[in-house]
Amino acid sequence: MNHKELIASMAAKMNAPKSVVADLLETTIATCTELLADGKTIGFQSFGNFEVRKKEERLSVHPSTQIRTLIPPKLVVNFKQSNILKDKLKDLPHND
Amino acid sequence: MIKDKISSQEIIDLVASKASVSKRAAEEFLKMMISSIEDALYAGEQVKIKNFGTFKLQWNEPRKSVNIQTGEDILLAGYHKVTFTPDTILKDLVNEPFAHLEPVELDGENAIDLQKEETSDIALDPLRVFTEQASEIKNLLSEIQALSTPEPDLIEVESREDTKVENSKKEYQQNIRVEIPDYVFVNDEPEILENETPELKISDTEEPIIFLEQTEKENAEHKVVVDEKSTKSEVVVLQSTDNLEEADSTMFIESIKPVRNRKTGIILLVIFVFLIGGYVSLYLFNSGVKACSDKAFMGVITELVYVKDRVCNWMCPKPQKALRTEVLIIPKDTLANDSVTENDVDSLQLLFDNPRVYTEFIATEQLRKSSRLTLISLKYYGTKDFWVYIYEANKERISNPDDISSGTLIRIPKLDSRLIDASNPRCMKKAKELHDQYVKG
Repeated sequence: MNHKELIASMAAKMNAPKSVVADLLETTIATCTELLADGKTIGFQSFGNFEVRKKEERLSVHPSTQIRTLIPPKLVVNFKQSNILKDKLKDLPHND
Repeated sequence: MIKDKISSQEIIDLVASKASVSKRAAEEFLKMMISSIEDALYAGEQVKIKNFGTFKLQWNEPRKSVNIQTGEDILLAGYHKVTFTPDTILKDLVNEPFAHLEPVELDGENAIDLQKEETSDIALDPLRVFTEQASEIKNLLSEIQALSTPEPDLIEVESREDTKVENSKKEYQQNIRVEIPDYVFVNDEPEILENETPELKISDTEEPIIFLEQTEKENAEHKVVVDEKSTKSEVVVLQSTDNLEEADSTMFIESIKPVRNRKTGIILLVIFVFLIGGYVSLYLFNSGVKACSDKAFMGVITELVYVKDRVCNWMCPKPQKALRTEVLIIPKDTLANDSVTENDVDSLQLLFDNPRVYTEFIATEQLRKSSRLTLISLKYYGTKDFWVYIYEANKERISNPDDISSGTLIRIPKLDSRLIDASNPRCMKKAKELHDQYVKG
């Protein structure tokens, strides 16, 4: 499901025009992005937490050329699902 | 970094104020958004939100673990997990504080250094290489003994060994100009002894001898005296067989077809001895550490004696058989070596006679008050006497070799190694001549 489909499905559920939903979604995402960029953690009840984590610098060695490279530290967004969501997903049959 | 946790309520407030909608509408919207995402995930779809990221559902397999308190095995159930992959835009925004950092390659220098250390280790520790080689030979010997029946593979092995020897020959000629060892089986029938080469003196004809002889290319005398004390150029091993055979390795192989069975083994042994001799010479010339040489030779001689014993035991049952197939081949090497040596002497003479042109330099040195050309020579060439060449290369900078002015930059020329061979009396003589010439002039 892509962005458009998500908007469509939400609009159908809310009985609201797509443009309104699109605006709201955009605002929400922009807000979340802003907060994450500030290094804040966002917790959606019953869904999960968005968190910014720092990956420390590390030394990587190319396996064949043996060239060592220093990878600088970086900040990444991490999502951890809440336990409520995890429990909900338990009922889902898995097929592989 | 302040890790403030923003709750969904705060998000709702922010969104409401930004989009200028009621909080209620914003709350409803957020709930709807989350439930929509969940629904899509339940359906097994992935949800992509523009400028934010992708939600996916991932199945984690059940896995075994151990209860750390009781030590019992427990099975952790498999579960579904929602994973989130941030969009590049989000990634970049979040990583802004560290965006200027780039991966740095810690140049290959370190790796090269490591390699250099390794190689120099090997060069510094030829004894270790030696013992490895010796044990290898031991193993091969025991294998040969185990093979009582002739096998065609043996011939292949032997030709392989032969090429090995050839290779090592080349090596030696490049680096240290060592004569390929001749090996001689001697018996008590002197008329078969057609050894007319002046450099071989058989000390004891009753006891057969293998000579592993090597001479320096620049050895003008070109004489070898069989003497156990002379550690520099000979290894002598006594071998009690009743045959006289002189051969170089290739000829030798041709001759063994009738009794391939036994001869193959002999050839292999001879080649091993050959190899040992090669390593001895290589080691001696490369290391140049005389203190070590005695020690190294003791090790080699022990190994050779071991080889000898094995050969004796092995040959004893039928020594006569080998007699029938004895082959007389005058070593071809002798003549060739003589001519080679002559050539070398000539080229050395040429080096002496031609005016030296210094194009390559190994270093530059700034002269201080205490500097002496002789000391610099000692530093770079190992001997004081070759200072004359440094002077020659820097004539335009140094007016008088006895009175050098401090602060002068001089260049140390790269010299032909044959020219600065301290063990060669001719080199020393030439240096002395030049010394007299420059000091008096």
